[in-house]
Amino acid sequence: MDDEHKVLRPSFSFIVPPMGKLLELLLRNGGFVTFLVVEVICFAMMVNFNTRQGEIWANTTGIFGGRALEKRQMASDYFNLYERADSLAHLVDSLQLRLSNARQVQVPIRDTFFLVSYDSLSRTDSTLRKTVRPQFQSVTARVIKNSVSGANNWLIINRGSSDGVKTDMAVLSPVGIVGIVRHVSPHFSLVMSVLHQQAKISAALPQQKNAFGSLTWDGGDPTVMTLRYIPQHFVVKENEPVVTSGYSLMFPQGHPVGKVYGTPKTDAENPYFLEIKVKLHQDMTTVRDVSVVQNLFQAEIDSLQLKIKANEQ
Amino acid sequence: MNSSSITPHVLRFIGMVAVQSLLLNQMTGSIGAYFNVLLYPLFILFLPLQMAAPYLILLGFAVGVAVDAFVPSWGIHAGAGAFSAFARGLALLPFAPKGGFSTKDSIFAPATMGWQTFLQGTALFMAMHLLWYFSFSYFSHLFALEIVKKTAAAWGLTMIFVALYAAMFNPKK
Repeated sequence: MDDEHKVLRPSFSFIVPPMGKLLELLLRNGGFVTFLVVEVICFAMMVNFNTRQGEIWANTTGIFGGRALEKRQMASDYFNLYERADSLAHLVDSLQLRLSNARQVQVPIRDTFFLVSYDSLSRTDSTLRKTVRPQFQSVTARVIKNSVSGANNWLIINRGSSDGVKTDMAVLSPVGIVGIVRHVSPHFSLVMSVLHQQAKISAALPQQKNAFGSLTWDGGDPTVMTLRYIPQHFVVKENEPVVTSGYSLMFPQGHPVGKVYGTPKTDAENPYFLEIKVKLHQDMTTVRDVSVVQNLFQAEIDSLQLKIKANEQ
Repeated sequence: MNSSSITPHVLRFIGMVAVQSLLLNQMTGSIGAYFNVLLYPLFILFLPLQMAAPYLILLGFAVGVAVDAFVPSWGIHAGAGAFSAFARGLALLPFAPKGGFSTKDSIFAPATMGWQTFLQGTALFMAMHLLWYFSFSYFSHLFALEIVKKTAAAWGLTMIFVALYAAMFNPKK
């Protein structure tokens, strides 16, 4: 090699012999080995020391391993048939109650039951199929991966875009709320749990003329969330029911959430409002059977809201 | 490599890390998520053309770690820096003279290569760096569209800052 094209190679003789030789061996074996070693170190640093990347990594591996998890789940289901039957009985009870109000029909599609809710007030005559106006459509799913111990928790369910699941659909259990779909693959969906610090759900107090506020999770106890922005003049008592308000558009109105836990106190950050602890009906550590709900009017309402914004500008 | 030839690289390392961490990253925070300007890869680009790949990769890793330490975003800039150092030879290959770069071409800069070649080479180098950086930070196919959109936006903005930097400092070694 002539002088013009010689390659610059600094010496490592100043490092103690064993480490220096190891480093020189690595460096003399070319750039590709060094590149691979460095990238593996960087990747390990990234998923271990960055919360967001750690979550993406955990959930991505969860989605790819979803099929394997589902198989394992099927095996363990066999040994938990009693609990499953109990859970399904609750689901059947809930559906029967809703059927008795004549607000739902079941439409079997492939292996999935799509539950279509109807607004009974929209009927104009007795011929149901001609007059009903579907509001919500839902598909049943099963949780195959769940976390509750982190500051921001996620679930994976065994339904995806091929089952009609889309982002921003609400996920409910028969007894409570579970989360919001954030990403979908053809057969699985990634759900932001209600135990995620970015999750905000509009909830109401039916015994207080449906006064509504924003329900969030402050971390810590996975069975308790916090309801804010209920004005001070409401006298809220312990054990009062809390339900979805329907104002978020994603969640149907009146679905059970939980009950008031302890005595409400003044919100330290906003003294005009109450800070109310809510004990969730749905134990997020055991959630299994869920429904993914889509508001069929969401796009229409969103377009109206855009007009409001356009008028205000 | 003697001490006088190392000095510009040391100063460039400190300057790039400071500007990236204290100015450009703060601008992303205040302007918006699509405003990303990554100037520190210029430190890797301006390292001697004859430097052996392993040393280049370790220096790329070092400048990335330094930027990561300020954000903090441990491993993301470091991984992208190491990749850019590894891929620099490939990015600049189409712009090398016949027979390859020689010791007369100390660094890949406008003063040695001419403005047109420098901007073309840097454009390709930065595109590779940014694509790796955003892919590395999301590393999920679920965010493919987000990665492409952010890479395209960051590439356009970064090239403006690259041209300004080269015009202001005109590095020669």
